[in-house]
Amino acid sequence: MTPAAPRAVLAAIAVLAALGFVLPGYAVTLLTEAIILALFALSLDLLVGHARLVSFGHAGPWGFGAYVAAGLLLVLQLPLPVAALGAALATALVAVPVGWLCVRTTGVAFAMLSLAFAQLGYAVVFKWSAVTGGSDGLPGVPRGGGPLGLDWLATREGFHVLAALALAGAYLIARGFTVSPLGRVAAAVRENEARAQALGYDPRRTRLAVFVLSYGLAGLAGGLYAGFARYVSPELFFWTVSGHVLVMVILGGAGTLVGPMIGAMALFFLEHQLSGLTESWGLALGIVFILVVIFAPRGLMGWIEDALRRGRRASRADP
Amino acid sequence: MDPVALFTLQLLNALSLSALLFFIALGLTLIFGIMRVINFAHGAIYMLGAYVGVTTQTLTGSFALSLVLAPLAAALLGLAFERSALTRLYAREHSAFLLVTFGLALALTEAIRLAWGPDPRQAELPAALAGIVFVLDEPFPVYRLVLIGAGAAAALALWLLLHRTRLGLLMRAASQNAAMTAALGNDVAAVRAAVFALACGLAALGGALAAPLFTAYIGLGTSVIIDAFVIVMIGGMGSFVGTAVGSLLVGFAQTFGNFYFPELALGATYALMIAVLLLRPGGLFGREE
Repeated sequence: MTPAAPRAVLAAIAVLAALGFVLPGYAVTLLTEAIILALFALSLDLLVGHARLVSFGHAGPWGFGAYVAAGLLLVLQLPLPVAALGAALATALVAVPVGWLCVRTTGVAFAMLSLAFAQLGYAVVFKWSAVTGGSDGLPGVPRGGGPLGLDWLATREGFHVLAALALAGAYLIARGFTVSPLGRVAAAVRENEARAQALGYDPRRTRLAVFVLSYGLAGLAGGLYAGFARYVSPELFFWTVSGHVLVMVILGGAGTLVGPMIGAMALFFLEHQLSGLTESWGLALGIVFILVVIFAPRGLMGWIEDALRRGRRASRADP
Repeated sequence: MDPVALFTLQLLNALSLSALLFFIALGLTLIFGIMRVINFAHGAIYMLGAYVGVTTQTLTGSFALSLVLAPLAAALLGLAFERSALTRLYAREHSAFLLVTFGLALALTEAIRLAWGPDPRQAELPAALAGIVFVLDEPFPVYRLVLIGAGAAAALALWLLLHRTRLGLLMRAASQNAAMTAALGNDVAAVRAAVFALACGLAALGGALAAPLFTAYIGLGTSVIIDAFVIVMIGGMGSFVGTAVGSLLVGFAQTFGNFYFPELALGATYALMIAVLLLRPGGLFGREE
């Protein structure tokens, strides 16, 4: 796997941010949502791609971050960026004990444990109506402005730029982690746990580091989503959300960081365009997903990389 | 109402819910036992059973026929999916299996939405099953008693299949050591296909049985699959006895929990699942791997 050049990725995100000033209002809103989903998929890729821990519970940190941010915005009236960062930190903090329990396992048991924790969050939010609003959720989440011109962030364009900044920051953190010494150890644990352990590394602690980082970034995505939708509900925690973001990661290409971001945005826009045109869109997506898992496990990114390599080879042979 | 009668009715309700859950969890655990994988599509197969059952009944007017055709249709679909998709994945790691069965769940749910439309479908019970009986002077639906009987019959039939037939022997052998079973000249691929088809048929039978009680609706599968996961994890993946006990535990926890502690019941089942996965990763009756 050749990771795409970070500078190209940042340039692409800058273009996305700039589009917020060019496109008509409705398109900007769609693009903002796509960016938040890209951030969500990026966070899951750390677990699924980099640590090969297939989580079926990523709705957990997403929903948790959204509720924390909603609380900070509603009750404490904090500015939007502060609430989103608070959501990320709170989610990472909760991820320490949850992850400590989850990373004792791998494979199917890990998938089931992460799923159970997310469903537990769903049950708590659903039943604890006094605090969470129960099945009605919490409507009317304000996009808090604040001093120092932060009021601008509550506008459509401002929120769009904030989401793009968060995605760029999260990408730099995720990418920095994967190339850091700890990230390399995590890759070693993924490839051969016994050998990594024999070399003196602690597989559980390494997995825990990936888990906490992944959950923190998912909490950031969830926190931004609360400000975006101005509404949180228990559905954010439901397991189908976990499944949906997993589809984005796999279709985009797990383990590449860039692939899942592309996968999330592509899937979001395809869904938006095609679901209006044809009713069989969901069926087609399911079938394509099955075919990708069987025949193209590297996803869209694998296909792009192969095409680039072929192109390079051809241009080398040409002159 | 007299507390003893109330408790007895709740008990019977819990048993009938356990019986329905048993049909779907049993298939999951059979598949896990022999293939070491979780079938995420099992909830969608259950939902398919409910819809095929309702339609069979609308077309032919026969509830009994729906209990034959729904499992048959699901078993054929399961067989086709196992032969075309799953066989390619046995050599790969388990997560590929989770993902591909999740893909089937997505595709199947959408296919059902296309074929039957978004509105829920209600199945009618034949007159003989639609009545009520009096239990301790309180009325109770006959059909729920029938479900308890059906669950017990299925448990007995499956036990006989596993322990008294050659296919059952091969299934148990392959779940203990597939390579050795194959080396002795047995067709393990055929056993796998048979198990997957059988498991899908069982889930669909559960769906067809549940249709008169819960109606068939889009989303029936997504809610029931989580209950089935909880059962299989608690009972022990691959354990027949564990699945029966797990079904009873979850059926009772949901029925009595919703009645006596409605605030805590939902979360308690997930907390129990987490505790079992951490303390006894093989489940209460399974063996640790």
